[in-house]
Amino acid sequence: MRGWEKVGSSRSNLDRAGSTATTNRITSTVRLGRVEPQAPGHRTIFCNDREANFLVRFKVLSFHLYKSLALLCLLYADSEDSAKFQAGHNASPPPPPPPPPLEEGESCWKESHVPRAWLRVLRDVVKRLIFSLTSGVRGNSISTTKYNVLTFLPKGLFEQFRRVANLYFLTISILSTTPISPVSPITNVAPLSLVLLVSLIKEAFEDWKRFQNDMAINNASIDVLQGHKWVEIPWRKLQVGDIVKVKQDGFFPADLLFLASTNPDGVCYIETANLDGETNLKIRKALEKTWDYLTPDKASEFKGEIQCEQPNNSLYTFTGNLIIQKQTIPLTPNQVLLRDFVLSVMLEKRIPRASEDCNGEMVLGPDDRETSIGHILEVGCSLRNTEYIVGAVIFTGQETKVMMNSMNVPSKRSTLERKLDKLILTLFGALFLMCLIGAIGSAIFINRKYFYLGLTADVEDQFNPDNRFLVFILTFLTLITLYSTIIPISLYVSIEMIKFIQSTQFINKDLHMYHVETNTPASARTSNLNEELGQVEYIFSDKTGTLTRNLMEFFKCSIGGEVYGTGITEIERGAAQRNGGNVGKAQKSPGLVHEKGFNFDDARLMCGAWRNEPNPDTCKEFFRCLAICHTVLPEGEESPEKIAYQAASPDEAALVTAAKIFGFFFYRRTPTMIHVCESHVEKMGKVEDMSYEILNVLEFNSTRKRQSVVCRYPNGRIVLYCKGADTVIYERLADGGNELKNITREHLEQFGSAGLRTLCLAYRDLSSSSYESWNEKFIQAKSSLRDREKKLDEVAELIEKDLTLIGCTAIEDKLQEGVPSCIETLSRAGIKIWVLTGDKMETAINIAYACSLINNDMKQFIISSESNEIREAENRGDQVEVARIIKDSVRKELKKYLEEAQQYLRTVSGPKLALLIDGKCLMYALDPTLRGMLLNLSLNCTSVVCCRVSPLQKAQVTSLVKKGARKITLSIGDGANDVSMIQAAHVGVGISGLEGMQAVMASDFAIAQFRFLSDLLLVHGRWSYHRICKVITYFFYKNLTFTLTQFWFNFQTGFSGQRFYDDWFQSLYNVIFTALPVVILGLFDKDVSAKLSKKYPELYKEGIRNAFFKKRVVGIWAFFSFHQSLVFYFFVSTSSSSSQKSGKMFGHWDVSTMAFTCAVVTVNLRLLLMCNSITKWHYNNEFFTIYVLMSTICFYLTFLLVPIAALFGDFIFQGVQRWFFPYDYQIVQEIHRHEPEHSSSMQLLEMGPPLSPDEARSYAIAQLPREKSRHTGFAFDSPGYESFFASQAGVYVPQKAWDVARRASMRSRSKLPPKS
Amino acid sequence: MAGSSSAVAGSTAPGRNPNRPKYSKFSQQELPACQPILTPKLVITAFTIIGIIFIPIGIASLSASQDVVEISNRYETECIPEGYRSTKDDKIQFIQNPQSNKNCTRTLTVPKHMKQPIYVYYQLDNFYQNHRRYVKSKSDKQLRSPGSESDTSDCKPENNANGMPIVPCGLIAWSLFNDTYSFTRNNYVSLTVNKTGISWKSDREHKFGKGVYPKNFQSGGLIGGGSLVSSIPLSEQEDLMVWMRTAAMPTFRKLYGKIEFDLQANDVIEVSLKNNYNVYSFNGKKRIVLSTANWIGGKNDFLGVAYITVGGICFFLALCFTALYLKKPSRLQDPSYLTWNTNPGPL
Repeated sequence: MRGWEKVGSSRSNLDRAGSTATTNRITSTVRLGRVEPQAPGHRTIFCNDREANFLVRFKVLSFHLYKSLALLCLLYADSEDSAKFQAGHNASPPPPPPPPPLEEGESCWKESHVPRAWLRVLRDVVKRLIFSLTSGVRGNSISTTKYNVLTFLPKGLFEQFRRVANLYFLTISILSTTPISPVSPITNVAPLSLVLLVSLIKEAFEDWKRFQNDMAINNASIDVLQGHKWVEIPWRKLQVGDIVKVKQDGFFPADLLFLASTNPDGVCYIETANLDGETNLKIRKALEKTWDYLTPDKASEFKGEIQCEQPNNSLYTFTGNLIIQKQTIPLTPNQVLLRDFVLSVMLEKRIPRASEDCNGEMVLGPDDRETSIGHILEVGCSLRNTEYIVGAVIFTGQETKVMMNSMNVPSKRSTLERKLDKLILTLFGALFLMCLIGAIGSAIFINRKYFYLGLTADVEDQFNPDNRFLVFILTFLTLITLYSTIIPISLYVSIEMIKFIQSTQFINKDLHMYHVETNTPASARTSNLNEELGQVEYIFSDKTGTLTRNLMEFFKCSIGGEVYGTGITEIERGAAQRNGGNVGKAQKSPGLVHEKGFNFDDARLMCGAWRNEPNPDTCKEFFRCLAICHTVLPEGEESPEKIAYQAASPDEAALVTAAKIFGFFFYRRTPTMIHVCESHVEKMGKVEDMSYEILNVLEFNSTRKRQSVVCRYPNGRIVLYCKGADTVIYERLADGGNELKNITREHLEQFGSAGLRTLCLAYRDLSSSSYESWNEKFIQAKSSLRDREKKLDEVAELIEKDLTLIGCTAIEDKLQEGVPSCIETLSRAGIKIWVLTGDKMETAINIAYACSLINNDMKQFIISSESNEIREAENRGDQVEVARIIKDSVRKELKKYLEEAQQYLRTVSGPKLALLIDGKCLMYALDPTLRGMLLNLSLNCTSVVCCRVSPLQKAQVTSLVKKGARKITLSIGDGANDVSMIQAAHVGVGISGLEGMQAVMASDFAIAQFRFLSDLLLVHGRWSYHRICKVITYFFYKNLTFTLTQFWFNFQTGFSGQRFYDDWFQSLYNVIFTALPVVILGLFDKDVSAKLSKKYPELYKEGIRNAFFKKRVVGIWAFFSFHQSLVFYFFVSTSSSSSQKSGKMFGHWDVSTMAFTCAVVTVNLRLLLMCNSITKWHYNNEFFTIYVLMSTICFYLTFLLVPIAALFGDFIFQGVQRWFFPYDYQIVQEIHRHEPEHSSSMQLLEMGPPLSPDEARSYAIAQLPREKSRHTGFAFDSPGYESFFASQAGVYVPQKAWDVARRASMRSRSKLPPKS
Repeated sequence: MAGSSSAVAGSTAPGRNPNRPKYSKFSQQELPACQPILTPKLVITAFTIIGIIFIPIGIASLSASQDVVEISNRYETECIPEGYRSTKDDKIQFIQNPQSNKNCTRTLTVPKHMKQPIYVYYQLDNFYQNHRRYVKSKSDKQLRSPGSESDTSDCKPENNANGMPIVPCGLIAWSLFNDTYSFTRNNYVSLTVNKTGISWKSDREHKFGKGVYPKNFQSGGLIGGGSLVSSIPLSEQEDLMVWMRTAAMPTFRKLYGKIEFDLQANDVIEVSLKNNYNVYSFNGKKRIVLSTANWIGGKNDFLGVAYITVGGICFFLALCFTALYLKKPSRLQDPSYLTWNTNPGPL
């Protein structure tokens, strides 16, 4: 008990130490129990004071020392017990420990008798010391390497021998050095060392690359305050407490405390794409106390003390205090700027490997590297819209949050490889059986009657007839060594080599997967999973950035019942092609404007031409609505060409841009006014500056689904402009004008089915009096303290009514190029595509339509939490109740839908099914009790769309299918929110070429565009799968054949374990004679060309079915190798039993050489027989193997007979199989047999940058069969929505677009000289 | 995004794409290749060709094999006096007794004209020359060079005799076959047996050294087989060389010598042999074989039969396939046979 009290006291000491920010020496010790003293709960950082920080580190060090010593005492406590038992012993005392800094120390240090435990503790102490020492030396440098010079060999070898096969061969090698071995050690040692050497070289090479990348990052430079000026030092020399300056578009070199910014308000804008994949800007705000420390002179006066938590990996939390001028100010994550640049791949990708000077010579000097790094840092961008900021370093190097987060990417193994393990196990079984038979035989055989064997009394154990059991055991070991060739040692290394070349030479260099615009080739980040790509059945895709470009373009509109815009969307084009329609070239109007966010082509509206339309007044209202009703901020010079719009959602920016191009140029916003420069309004060519007074802004939120602005014209007219979802706008329209409403609704449906995002625009003229009376209520609501949001909504309802419909806009959420056709191809290949997105359901559905994942013929099952029942429950606010209600409704719906789905499945031509589920429901559906139902339902659906899902849920859904359905899954995404899903799936694919690299870092393959997936899967994946299957089965076959001849021979040698083949033959068989040709096959074999692979995506199904590595296939191979080994052995031994021409007889080695030659030739011929395509590389190898010439006719005769007799069965089998039970690929081969393989090389060489979006669109046709859709494609991203999850995780994000707008406007105002 | 890439490109080499993979036929997997497809026609043709080639070869080698004249006579029991034949122990006792008279006579009749050279073989059955213990029980170094006389580590238990290394050491040499044969034709003409050139040239020149002479051979307690004349170097001891080229199978023949006279049909050959070698311990058999050889070597019907069989089957299959092919044309080349066309429905 006493001990426990001590623990308590030591704890409280620690706590006190924490609160007073001093590290008191703890003066008590622990005697009982295994309670370790905890690390101090916080750390203290003295800003701008390196010496003080060094002291802190020293204290940490002493803490670790203390901890170690405490451990020693603990150990002593243990040893007291053990000492009792060992009292009699007088073992040598341990070396006297240094006097401990403990009061009760003396009692601790007595003689101990547990040296091993001592060693353990000693090791621990040393480790801690090294850690605390080096953590200072390393500063801000990071290391992602696996090995260093010292650890490479032991650690690398350890890694190698973790592989069972290698361990097995090590055992065999050791066995083969003992006398029981029938073969010389070289047989096993040589291949093993070769294999190890190759693997180690590969490891070393990869680690070297990582090291170089680390160095490049560590040497990037940063401004640090030294004395009274900024000095540039490399990142790695940065230390905790340093004051650094980060310039615009620069990276944060470490985790910083944000002190001051050039912006007023002490805010800065940062981009966190690398960290969490969100591309929108985030705002960080410094503490007011520190705003002034901006200039070097001022900053050098800054003497703060930061107390903060220990380094941890939580990106969204930070707790700490800043003690400045004896004041303690709490810190929030809002003041912390996280380092987000660690990613070696970024450098790898973006640094040109070497620059070429004018003579064409390669130059790569340190200077080059320096500049390119500097350049990259600019390209990446973390700090935005801020000239520079000043910060204090909190965590450096490995302690930064992003490094703490750097997960050890779980190394994935392909399914095929796991199946291969099973095959190897089977082979072990066979080996065991063979050895057992042989060993029993030998124990029976051995007998003194064979006097010529010299089995005298003192014969060695293995041949001693007096102890047959020992004979059995030893022969068993002998035979294991002899038959060890049954496990192909070079298999793994061959496969690895093949895969390595496949990924580095084929996948990485495929021009079909090279994206010109972003200058990004595909990249296989691991070579383990090539063949897995050939078996994927489920694809989980992110939406934004993967399927879509996150680029909204104003595409069409309907004004006053007239459709404008002649563009054709991808979906329409796809639909037209499916219907056999003719997709001709559309006329492009001259002077077509194309700008980011605007892709609209209709001469009737451009350049003021709208004035000649039948309804110019409606048009005017339309454009004004676009120009006024928004929360966009203009930025930069106030000219139409140079202005940039900052918007919370890209939709809004697109609408304002559209207004600008139509001649309603919104150029300035003040808190009360919107300035619009209107042209061609009254008269063509006339430009007029208008300023509208903004009276009220009724903001957007997801329940309102609309946004309104009340504004006053210069002439006093008060108008409410409203834009929003068609459903909510239509409810609030004034009566009458039904014709317009119907026509517009028709248009909405048209747009919707074309995959466009629609918004309805409406306005309402207000009289001054009615406005004033409403405004009073509004102000009241706004100033109310309780339920403000709700009251504001209610007030808004009062004025947003009796609206007049103007028209609607259609924005194209631009899909990535070629997405619909790629999805179509993939689904023909039997791959099911699920979309998992953080977006709202409407947006997700919209995209699913756009990607033709869902269409109107499908039966849609929607499980949404947006039902009235749930909403009411939520309003009541009882969380437990809400959870119960949601769970109940989810269960009910799942049950209902599942029954329905099964009913549809039973009918022959039932509709295809689609499941749509949102994140909240999914959370409950993933509950273990409902999981099965969800899986059942979703596996029956052709398409599944999950919206509003969190990153974790993405991973859960992925593993649900991976583990629940045991299907092979692939996840593709581009942002950090996809990382978990990418890692959860069998194969993770990252979209590269954009800013965020987290997804790519976690991925196994990185491609620049979603559409490259079809190349990656259907071509590379399929080929890899085919090839690897062939290689594996072939290895299996050839080694089994070889070993079985040994086995048969052993029956004739009295089971003595005599080897049939020469040592060298045996070792070279695997390494040279047969390994090289099969590698060639693994690299070059092609069943059908790349073009046909894509033309017949259905061929991919063979991979999904795993048609080439099934038990049956392996069984057939085993049968034939059995047959062939018998043929080799008996044909050769029988035909060589007679004398040859000169009367001489063949000896053992003559026969075995003959058999060996036959085997090598046959096995290689068999390889040729399984080749689908034979390149010149193949010939060379075949000739190489035919090397042995002997001088007898008999040899030649045998030589001709045996391979043919051996392959006879295979040949018949293959012929018959092909004839009567063909694989699909064989049929395709036949169909296209007479076509010369069309080489696309010339096209690729000529291929310039692909068509620009305009050109691509020019393929459009004017009129297409219009499809009606119940789905109108409403979508309007709520501003700030992107940060939804961040905010859930507790990060501060601006919740309101208006918030962003206000801040930015203040900033821009301050920059611009006042005009008046 | 476009900006960043263009900036990178711009900084290094304007207008080029530094990351663009270089085109090569290898990396684009467009190496020229031919596609061997096992079409029914090809299969039929291949079978026919194999048949056409194999059957003549088979017939030729079978007839060659038939031309070979071979006389074989088993003698291990007959060459033991009646009184010792009853049990195994008696036989062993007889053969191990140095005093017993081991002379024995066998009579062979020549069935057909035999052209010289006529090879004389002895054939042993159930003798495991390929046993692991036996095979390794020799010292290649010792056999090759006079200096490595004492290199006898592999030779146990026949490595030393009376403390001196045995040359040649090991079980193989120790168990040297030592029956001897002499021949008389039709009772009056004695046929000389030429015992030179019966070993492989490579053995004479490389494996057995010229300066290596037998030492302490068969001087230990147990005598395993024949002894060697210690004045002749190993490279001229052809019997030893033949014996030491171990056989692959437990039934084997070894060349004893050559008779360089033609033998006529119905000649009676009398073989006087000394039955010295002990095969009785392990129930082995001994035969003496006289055989001619032609281009195919000794008598070996197997090759011919195998060729004819394989060729015949090929021919037969070719016929069958042709019939099948005519009756039911190939399913291939018809897209409707693709699995996704034949059985629609979810995978």
